[in-house]
Amino acid sequence: MDQDYLIKKWLNNDLSEAEMEAFKLLDDHELYLDIIDAAQAFKASNDEVMPDFNTFKQRYQKLNKPVKKLHWMNPLLKIAAILVIVLGVYFTFFNSAKITVETLANQKTSVELPDASSVMLNALSSIKYQKRNWDNNRTLQLNGEAYFKVAKGSTFDVLTEEGLVSVVGTEFNVKQRDNYFEVICFEGSVEVSLKVDTRDFETILIKGESVLFLNSNLTERTISTLEPDWISNRSIFSGIPLYEVFDELMRQFAIDISFNDVNLERLFTGGFSHDSLENALTAIVQPMNLTYELTPSKQVIIHGKKN
Amino acid sequence: MEEKPIQNICKESIFEQIYNEHSKDLRNFLYYKYGDHCNPNDKAQDAFVKLWNNCSKISFAKAKSFLFTVANNMMLNEIKHQKVVLKHRQIQTKQYTYETPEFILEKDQFLERYQEVLGNLKEEQRVAFLLNKVEGKKHEEIAEMLGITRKVVEYRIYSAFNKLKSELEGFKIK
Repeated sequence: MDQDYLIKKWLNNDLSEAEMEAFKLLDDHELYLDIIDAAQAFKASNDEVMPDFNTFKQRYQKLNKPVKKLHWMNPLLKIAAILVIVLGVYFTFFNSAKITVETLANQKTSVELPDASSVMLNALSSIKYQKRNWDNNRTLQLNGEAYFKVAKGSTFDVLTEEGLVSVVGTEFNVKQRDNYFEVICFEGSVEVSLKVDTRDFETILIKGESVLFLNSNLTERTISTLEPDWISNRSIFSGIPLYEVFDELMRQFAIDISFNDVNLERLFTGGFSHDSLENALTAIVQPMNLTYELTPSKQVIIHGKKN
Repeated sequence: MEEKPIQNICKESIFEQIYNEHSKDLRNFLYYKYGDHCNPNDKAQDAFVKLWNNCSKISFAKAKSFLFTVANNMMLNEIKHQKVVLKHRQIQTKQYTYETPEFILEKDQFLERYQEVLGNLKEEQRVAFLLNKVEGKKHEEIAEMLGITRKVVEYRIYSAFNKLKSELEGFKIK
């Protein structure tokens, strides 16, 4: 029989008994056996066995945890990115708008803030604040005079041109007019900070205390009323220059006042109610030895007494 | 050919089964084909990791061929034509009942030469030959592993043997 034929069949373990006999008779048959035997020497090392499944799992988890998560998150991330962009544009252009409330002369108004704090605005005043995220960032810009009832919560800041008032749940009045900055604390405590000329000024007011900066002069006072006078439609002054008194009068009644020979630096102690202009004028001029004149065009002229 | 995924191999218990069944074979296959150099152990595990990552796309039936293909490709990516060295160890052969020093020396030289020839064999021939004669894998099994037909397996084993035969003829140990 053909040697090759036998070898092939032998390699396939496919020899019949007769064929096996023939194979054993081949010349190099022992070499053939040796070759197959010696192959065993090259068996893959059994020392470096593959780890068991649990060990493999650990290795896999170390390698794969970050990758696998990203894999299914990819589409989500893309959607999120688009959302962020859209929202960003929206908020930039539409929602960060601040709310402004203004009062004209002869007008008072009341504003309720998102956290149920309330602000009452006196005449010719304005506040500006951002509604969004109010609970975390209670910052408000004030121009003029307002009475605040602040609900407990995060720090409540009132920014005026002249100074900053910070509170945490309290009732206070802030008045900021020309060269006139006053804070009165009616409840709780109020921190006031401002720059006077170049100096930094800071103080804390408790209930019944007030601080007034008039032309850079500091006056600290105690107050016994429970709320600002203007809330009850009255203006009370204690040693305040006439120009400020008349300014308030103008604001409350929306009138124009001109002065004739009047020393407006004189200090006035008294008050006027907001109901009647004439009563108010009388209340001011009488103690100060002045007279007033009401023109047909609704203008008021104050005359210094010529005596 | 429509293949309904019979079992979802993403289930850990099933994947474990696949691992236990094929990890050793896969590793040996890589070893026989590429030797010790490029860490067949690691490559085999990497192939399983890849299988896990793609578990939803591969059916149970195709898992084995996937593993072997992937592992092979991973290896190829790393090696460029390195000399394959399969270590050989002393093994007991029942046929020889005594051993003289001369005899041992001859055997050593024989194995040295054997190693050389094995390393020079065509990869595919070496793999088929060793898987069959050393690991005892049937021709069908090898065919499945390597993605070839049975006839091709037989032919490769035959070719490997012939090469060994012609190179080792001078070493007849009597």
